[in-house]
Amino acid sequence: MQKVIERILNLLAFLLTVERPVTAEEVRHTVAGYDAENDEAYRRMFERDKDLLRQLGIPIEMRPTDAWEVEYGYVISEDYALADPGLTDEERVALWLAAQAVRIGGSPGGATGLFKLGGAPMVGAGEPLAADLGKSVDELAVAFTCVAERRALRYRYRDKDRTVYPYGLVHRRGHWYLVGPESADVGVVKAFRMDRMGKLEPYGAEQAFVRPEGFRAADAIPAAGWEAGADDLRARVTFDQSVAWWAERQLPHTTEIDRDDAGGITATMSVANIEAFIGWMLGFDDGAEILEPESLRNRLIDRVRGVA
Amino acid sequence: MSSPKTAMRLNKILAMLPWVIANPGATVEEVCKRFGYTRKELVADLDLVFVCGLPGYGPGDLMVAYLDDDEVVVEMADYFSRPVRLTPGEGLSLLASGMAMVSSAQAMPALSSAVQKLQNVLLPDAGEAMVVDFAEPEAVGVLREAASTGTVVSIRYTALGTGATTERDIEPWTVFSTMGNWYVSAHCRYAEAERVFRIDRIRDIELTGETFDPPAEPPPPVVNYTPREEDARATIRLGPRSRWVADYYPVEILDDEKDHLIVRFSASDPAVAARLLLRLGADAELLSGDRVAESLAGLRDRITTRYGAGN
Repeated sequence: MQKVIERILNLLAFLLTVERPVTAEEVRHTVAGYDAENDEAYRRMFERDKDLLRQLGIPIEMRPTDAWEVEYGYVISEDYALADPGLTDEERVALWLAAQAVRIGGSPGGATGLFKLGGAPMVGAGEPLAADLGKSVDELAVAFTCVAERRALRYRYRDKDRTVYPYGLVHRRGHWYLVGPESADVGVVKAFRMDRMGKLEPYGAEQAFVRPEGFRAADAIPAAGWEAGADDLRARVTFDQSVAWWAERQLPHTTEIDRDDAGGITATMSVANIEAFIGWMLGFDDGAEILEPESLRNRLIDRVRGVA
Repeated sequence: MSSPKTAMRLNKILAMLPWVIANPGATVEEVCKRFGYTRKELVADLDLVFVCGLPGYGPGDLMVAYLDDDEVVVEMADYFSRPVRLTPGEGLSLLASGMAMVSSAQAMPALSSAVQKLQNVLLPDAGEAMVVDFAEPEAVGVLREAASTGTVVSIRYTALGTGATTERDIEPWTVFSTMGNWYVSAHCRYAEAERVFRIDRIRDIELTGETFDPPAEPPPPVVNYTPREEDARATIRLGPRSRWVADYYPVEILDDEKDHLIVRFSASDPAVAARLLLRLGADAELLSGDRVAESLAGLRDRITTRYGAGN
């Protein structure tokens, strides 16, 4: 490990000071630690080191060594350095504690990033939130990069290639959503649940879209499952006293609620996804009933009878 | 492949050098605390830096790094004076965990400004492009306080599976969140055993004022369901639209084909499986499981009766 780190520090020192593209051959003969016995051993060593550097956030790029582009050499791209957000130590500690308390895809993140930001005088530990945001960091990082670079994402859904222009990324109620339209110029912004999207790949050029003025990603996320969709119904539903408390905890704040003397409630609400709404209603067993409209009542009855 | 340990160590060196260069006179203690070093590890890394530098590799070409009494000294290393940019994964992790804490209303005030500064750098001019919403039920605050002070709480709880409501005194250990729901793990005096409760199913909550001795090491906070002998089991065929069930419930996959998935489903209450089957409709089929079939028939019966649509 020691040898690897030494030679990478030498490589970085050289590339950061030489200010011109350097061929692999020159690295081999100039930088201490790369004097391998044969070409193949050298090539493997150099490739491995480039990978490691890329993993740390230092990109090594190929550029022509002269105007005729006969020969190519390596440079460290100018944007390798941190854009300093100017954190105070207090802010670093707060971020450190947050990164300790929140897990993403099961693992606590943030330590390596926080070191780059100047570390944190780690005084005491806070009360852990112990929350897991789900999804792996790698998957989210692809989405996040495209949100930041304003680049389209491609994925397969039911055997079809689909594209989304990711205006935003939202985590709510245990799910990650990508928010944006499906084409660069048409403005219907939708929310896509990432766990239903499959593997995401960046697609096309950066800066491929412009977010609308005052864009707020959270506005696109429905408060309840039945609020997301293309259906458009008003439903009146009654809940018995035994389940009314549970219904009320899940109903959007905008729902009109009438209370009866027995402790039950009747709610009037919008339904944008009939399938999700029926599923939710069935969870109340026989403690709830759709009163209106008739079509929705029949959908539920058909489902229960096994007709649909 | 270089090992993750190598990457970690190199990352730390490349973060520590710029900071020491920017803060001349920094003490060993300060550097160790800030970058999670022991004194010995720091010395080892400085020794390593000392033998590296520019081609020529003579005294004037190598970096200078050593401890002067209690002071960390780094010289001749100006090319390492700028920290490396964050990778997308690092940026996302810091931002997401910071935002989650801010929305949970548990955060120190400095966190809000830290998150704002990070956003300005990582997502400039993007409006509110990234949101992590981690709103918590009211009872979360009470339980968190009870867990930290070791106070027994009295709860009225309605189980999700059976719908049965009970009053219990519990000794809360850990409050945690996963898959969008909040839970508390506790010793339940009513069940005389460890239990995990879904916090939004707690109807009423009250601090009793009585205290308890928390376990030295509470078990890790996970919602784990291990099928028991007496649990209901069913074999279910899931169509393409119902495949998600395998990700959300602890099922055993028996057969995985392009157009269907066959799973063994276990639940402490057959009603859980029955409700799920009804929800999935024609896209799922119960292949075997008498208790679940019986529960499903009862459920169909009750709902049709309620709707006045009996056969």
